[in-house]
Amino acid sequence: MTASPILDAYRLETEPKWHQTDDEIAMFSAAYGARLPVMLKGPTGCGKTRFVEHMAWRLKRPLVTVSCHEDMTASDLVGRYLLGPEGTHWQDGPLTLAVRHGAICYLDEIVEARQDTTVIIHALTDDRRILPLEKKGELIRAHPDFQLVISYNPGYQSVLKDLKESTKQRFCALDFDYPAAQVEAEIVASEAAIAQASAETLVRIAQKSRNLRGQGLSEGSSTRMLIHAGRLMAGGLSVGEACKLAMITPMTDDPEIRAALSAAVDACV
Amino acid sequence: MIPKYAQPCLRLSMPVSETHIRPAATAGLADPLETRIAAAHARLVGAGYGVGVPRAYQQAAPKVAEHAGPDAALALAEAASRIAIRARPRVAAQFLDLSVPMARRLAAAESFGRWLGLLLGVLKPAPDALAPLLERMEMLHQRLGIGPLEAWVQTGLRLAGTDLALRQAYFTLELPEAVRLLERHAGEDTFHSLEGELRATHRALWGQSPPIREALPQAKGTAALRASFGAGVIQLPASYGGYRGRERLIFKAALAHIGAHMAHGGPRFQVGQLKPLQIAVISLIEDARVETLALREMPGLRRLWLPFHDVPPDGMATTPSLFGRLARALIDPDFPIRHGWVRKGVEMFRAGEGQIGSPALSRHIGNILGNDLGQTRVQFNARDYVVQPVYRDDNLGLWDLPPDPHEAQQHHHIDIETHDLRRSEETDSPQEHKTERADQSADMPPEKIVPAPAASGVGRIVGRLPEYDYLAGIERADWVTVKEYEPAPGDPLFWRKLEDRQGPLLARIRSLVRAAAMGRQKRLKRQAEGERLDLDAAIEASIQLRARSTPDHRVYEGVATPDRSIAVHLLLDTSHSTGDPVSLTGPSIIALLREATGVLAHAMTQLGDPLAITAFASDGRDDLRLVRVKQFHDDLGPLTGMALSGLRPGYSTRIGAAIRDAGARLATVPAHRRLVLILTDGEPSDIDIRDPDYLVADARRAVQSLNSSGIDVFCIALGQGAGQRHAEIFSKRGFVQIDRLEALPEKLPALYLRMTR
Repeated sequence: MTASPILDAYRLETEPKWHQTDDEIAMFSAAYGARLPVMLKGPTGCGKTRFVEHMAWRLKRPLVTVSCHEDMTASDLVGRYLLGPEGTHWQDGPLTLAVRHGAICYLDEIVEARQDTTVIIHALTDDRRILPLEKKGELIRAHPDFQLVISYNPGYQSVLKDLKESTKQRFCALDFDYPAAQVEAEIVASEAAIAQASAETLVRIAQKSRNLRGQGLSEGSSTRMLIHAGRLMAGGLSVGEACKLAMITPMTDDPEIRAALSAAVDACV
Repeated sequence: MIPKYAQPCLRLSMPVSETHIRPAATAGLADPLETRIAAAHARLVGAGYGVGVPRAYQQAAPKVAEHAGPDAALALAEAASRIAIRARPRVAAQFLDLSVPMARRLAAAESFGRWLGLLLGVLKPAPDALAPLLERMEMLHQRLGIGPLEAWVQTGLRLAGTDLALRQAYFTLELPEAVRLLERHAGEDTFHSLEGELRATHRALWGQSPPIREALPQAKGTAALRASFGAGVIQLPASYGGYRGRERLIFKAALAHIGAHMAHGGPRFQVGQLKPLQIAVISLIEDARVETLALREMPGLRRLWLPFHDVPPDGMATTPSLFGRLARALIDPDFPIRHGWVRKGVEMFRAGEGQIGSPALSRHIGNILGNDLGQTRVQFNARDYVVQPVYRDDNLGLWDLPPDPHEAQQHHHIDIETHDLRRSEETDSPQEHKTERADQSADMPPEKIVPAPAASGVGRIVGRLPEYDYLAGIERADWVTVKEYEPAPGDPLFWRKLEDRQGPLLARIRSLVRAAAMGRQKRLKRQAEGERLDLDAAIEASIQLRARSTPDHRVYEGVATPDRSIAVHLLLDTSHSTGDPVSLTGPSIIALLREATGVLAHAMTQLGDPLAITAFASDGRDDLRLVRVKQFHDDLGPLTGMALSGLRPGYSTRIGAAIRDAGARLATVPAHRRLVLILTDGEPSDIDIRDPDYLVADARRAVQSLNSSGIDVFCIALGQGAGQRHAEIFSKRGFVQIDRLEALPEKLPALYLRMTR
């Protein structure tokens, strides 16, 4: 069954590059084949979003991405009545759009959303695969192509912000982490178009910063940060300057931690 | 007329009486300088201080006049005269001799006047301190400059109080505290100022967090010269004297070097039959070996280490020089090698490149080189041997040395105990304490970390806090020592008994809280965004649309559930006076405090507001006694009940320090509003402070500094007449006075709810 043209804007034209580190592509494909919802776990900037994009491209499905935030309500996901010249009319939200027309819906950082928001996905993620639009009095049966993917950063979670057990248990989960040094260096080198040796230096610095995880930093530098630093280097900055601009200054304001990170950069160059 | 240079004297609360000044200053403005100096000289001769003083004056005055102006030269006679009277003529002569180099240093008349004022300020309260101060004046001034010098001297006077011996020890710099303060005032980088950075750097570079400590002075009292490691503990010298401006680099280099040892070293070498010379050479090669390995991963460390290798390639072939050259040649490929022994070492080291991963290489090369050197006539003095360059450690951690009775073994134990306590700041609640420790030692090499004594009588030093001296107008760093005490054993059934005693009150408060929490959910009409359409607004908008006018776009309604985000640190004053009964037959103040705190804690738990409870008292500035009744992450369990009911009255009220501590704790709690709530029955006081304004001014300063970092401070003053000075400290709106103490348990939660609405 082909998806409706409404979602054409959500189709990916070019391939988002993905460097396979495990058999995550096969696993995701299997989950999609069974139309099971998937949860991607991992620290920020390790490639969760990129992976979903790649998979949507590979499976040739449109991808509707929603970045969740603290103030997000259920209406923001499913839709709401708007007031028009002829009275009210219903406007589908991004989730409803994906459910109705058959897309992969990716809810990024789902725990950021308010708890009542997460409950509406329950009926979608078990074998019912339905989305009740309470206010409209409509029950949508999910399009056969529809799949729900959420991401989740275990590092951020506090007692207040965690997924409900009933939510967690509906998902298959893939664990992501920063790739092994060699692989990460290859990724940085190809994404930022810099020499392998420079990429290796950047990765070494990142590993030092990850040593500080939980000891002054909540996260070490992500692969994304390394790519940014690499791009700056490709643009002519030195390693030290690029790291300062793309990694150290964004990550922390604590002068001691900054000094430690600068020392790590100095030591690795 | 008061001359310019006399004004700083006034500032130092040492007024120069006008009658004394007048003769010198107004003797004859028209006279040439020489005449006036001669007149001053004549007066000194006539005063009968012996021959030394006038002679010194005669020599000093013209030169001082040249550098600091004629007024200064005349004031010199005046000051000398007073020093001769209050201290001794010999000190006055010493002062006059010193005045010439000081005038040259200070140059400007104004700063020379400040310097005179400083000395006269010392003269009145502590004439005995003047001689040692003058002896070290040039060095002190060179390191500190005049402003910090004043602060350091004032600190010394206050620190010693009336204790003559202590004062002598301070101004002769025999007191370690004096040296530490000197370094601090000089703004030099010391272990203390760099500690956090060093710890984080080590963690980043090597992925390990071994305990890093300040090395204690050795048995002889001399400070440690080199870093050291062993048993998983790193010890760094308190400071690296003689490397001004480079201390920070030395500390970093030293720590990186030890990191290399820990990452690439092996088990300790057995001493066996080795001679001291061989031990030294093997250590040297091992140093180079681990550095080489570290440099493979982190080539940038070379830039850190290399500048400290500054030995020249030629010169007398003494042991230290040869050692320095070999060390340098092994790390610096560009270093010219001009000595056979050094060349042999380097060649062997290069040849052994294949086994560089193994410490046995160092032993092998060091053995041979040590033998070679032993056969020449080069002297090696093991006793005075200090590892070079300065950043390297003393190598004791490399060797399995027999226990040396002269080593400060017990010191080491104490060291670990006292310093380790600071680490526990983040972790501890009493019951977790021991398990935490066990965990720590589990993932570290076996180390003799002795759990701190948990007896209630012994405090654990957890940090130092600054204090504000309003007279000097400075904040003295590290002035108050914070000690945590284990709570005295209390009643494990406290909560249940509280429920029994205060049942109706608790029920009332519960409903109050529920109402407070419920009332906060508000329906918001006419919103630009929301869950659903606001019917009224939608109809209005439709009418306007059809009337072809622009409708209001705010047609939605939503529900506002603003997050309640307030964290409270409750400070309980448990000073001696809280033991007093409220009335003739009533309960004691502290009993009411416990009760009221219990009720409030109940209410707050229901509201979900993070709460910490700390009881404080003080016994001088060396002992701010804190009992952590409840930390933010603790539940209201039997342990908190026991701690709360175990509070006992005693000691004094150093309120400013307690506020600073509470603020520092609160600063780490993520909340929109943060509040330090103080329950106290009296004014600040402490045994070592006689000036009633001092602690008030300090507390006010503490409140202001918390306010400026977004933390509110509110005080509840208990009892009539308790709030006399609280308005000064907390501002008029920052405190409330409760006269009828019996009502406290009831009033406190209500007050809290009102305050935080």
